Amino acid sequence: MKRAAFLACLLLLAGPARAWRLWGEKSDGKIRPTQALSDAQKPAEVIAMLTPDFLQTLRGTDLRQAYILMGDNLDKLGRVDEALGVYQLGVKIFPKNVDLMTRQGDMLHRTGLDEQARAFYMRAIVYEPKHFGAHLGLAEIDHRFGFLDRAATHYEIALEALENRPDVWRSYAETLIAQHDWATADLAIKRALALDPKNPDGHVLTAFARRAQGDMPGALASLDNALALGAGVGARRAKALWLIEAERPAEALAEADLILKESPGDGAALWARARAQLARGRSADAVRELAPLVTPTRLDFIARAARSLRDTTNSSTAAK
Amino acid sequence: MKCLAALLALLLSAPSFAAPDLSAEALLRDHLWREVRQAPAGRRPKVGLVLSAGSLRGVAHVGVIQVLEDAGFPIDSVAGTSMGAVIGSMYASGMTAKNLREFASTFKVGTGNDISSARLVSLLLFDKLLSSEKTEIMLRKKIGSIRFDQTLKPFACVSMDVYTGEAIIFRDGDVAKAVRASMNLPGIFRPLEYRHRFLVDGGVVDYIPVDASRLLGAEWTLASVTETDYTTARPENVLESLLQVIDIRGSYLSHEQRKQADFLIEPAVGDIGMFEDHRVVEAMDKGVTVASARLNGAMESLILASIPKLADGWTPRAAK
Repeated sequence: MKRAAFLACLLLLAGPARAWRLWGEKSDGKIRPTQALSDAQKPAEVIAMLTPDFLQTLRGTDLRQAYILMGDNLDKLGRVDEALGVYQLGVKIFPKNVDLMTRQGDMLHRTGLDEQARAFYMRAIVYEPKHFGAHLGLAEIDHRFGFLDRAATHYEIALEALENRPDVWRSYAETLIAQHDWATADLAIKRALALDPKNPDGHVLTAFARRAQGDMPGALASLDNALALGAGVGARRAKALWLIEAERPAEALAEADLILKESPGDGAALWARARAQLARGRSADAVRELAPLVTPTRLDFIARAARSLRDTTNSSTAAK
Repeated sequence: MKCLAALLALLLSAPSFAAPDLSAEALLRDHLWREVRQAPAGRRPKVGLVLSAGSLRGVAHVGVIQVLEDAGFPIDSVAGTSMGAVIGSMYASGMTAKNLREFASTFKVGTGNDISSARLVSLLLFDKLLSSEKTEIMLRKKIGSIRFDQTLKPFACVSMDVYTGEAIIFRDGDVAKAVRASMNLPGIFRPLEYRHRFLVDGGVVDYIPVDASRLLGAEWTLASVTETDYTTARPENVLESLLQVIDIRGSYLSHEQRKQADFLIEPAVGDIGMFEDHRVVEAMDKGVTVASARLNGAMESLILASIPKLADGWTPRAAK
């Protein structure tokens, strides 16, 4: 009797397991060597291995993983169109696989098709409400589209899983700065800096936050920190322009010179020089600084601003 | 397990949202934008926000206002027609974009008017025009019985005298009554007898009230335009035909008025019909999306218009 009960229990337990195998859900692990190649950053070899014949031998988890590997490695090889096609096919075959969905969303997001990308991310979080990849994608799209509160919420969910990613903390801080939520932005930046203290981006972000709160000396000090850590010419551009805001034209002039050595004809540097000359009462020199920007072929914002300042300066000089 | 770990690593390696834009153009825009925002009265053009007519589509103005508010766009006065007058009056009275959004989310076809199935039957069978009194009641609940000189920002709205065809620009007196007159659709609502005139919706004569904004002293105007795409609409009854004709008329009018505005933001809400109140949130979101995409352009336009005045303060003589 006891044996019969034991056998019955065993059958009850084994039944679903057998059915699971029959449905093809269990992986055979055939994909592992391909996965190893992918981990070893050998995308061409991965693609060579994933032949149609090989794919036909795969099932369940292995097959899903094969589509992901194929898409990822095609992407690494720069074959973006093919990668997108693979993800699309994968999502059709496995319509509830959130990783494939999120990857398709990522591809669309990267190519600027944000509305379409959003649909995939939204579908992914229906199946997996805390999927960090989908929330990260949605956060970026919502920030770009101007839905700052929604973007912040998505970042918060993504950060539950990605708390060690300083770049995500920085992106979150940027959204908070745009929302004028300084206190939370400061905390997010501190977190990013604690995780990655030598990354100049964190210091640049601190500088923007300080300046937005009216702390110009703090902002300039943060830019100096960023420059000390190897920040590029962009941080120096910001410094030159912000020194003008801080009414320190001589220093702005010096910074602009450093920029022009690295990036000749730089619009922000020339503007900073022109403003510094104006501040010293040298209108003619200011107009001369703007001259390279005011060419008939240039119609961008910097050129139009320079033209406007040049014309204004010339007419006020003429009026005198 | 190994596959999952690799997947995670791959996702983690993907860069997140970009850091602050440190290009010369972005930094110069940001630098000059700060100057525009901080400029004292007289050192930049007076900015007028113009909100077009557009029945239910007009709730998209809320999204536009939200983006402008987030960006710290200086708005010195507000002018509106019809739904633009309703939204504009609330904004000018001090309601924030967030409050406006909460309020507009609850909009129904019958909000602020007398439209109901029974009333419409009465309108069609017995030729009995409806009353727009509810608009006034709703506004009084939201902003109180304030006068034009009591709004936080100068405000104007436009109506039409149905006997003379004149555009009547309201800048004084009772706000709620004037806004009711501005949103008083002819053929549906009884003309409002006020100040010895018989007033109907201003959208018939002044769809984008840039002229009203200029009367308020605006020197640079940003117009949010929520026109219909009447080429896709297929009116199927008397009411829809009437609205279609009003929309076509508004569209013709707006051709010229568009040229008068310094900057246009046009949410893509042309396909939203007057009775589609289930699409209110969608309309507001479209306002946010389009305004976000156009924000840099709007900032640049205002900066360029401001440089001649700002430059006065960039020389030592002005500093003294």
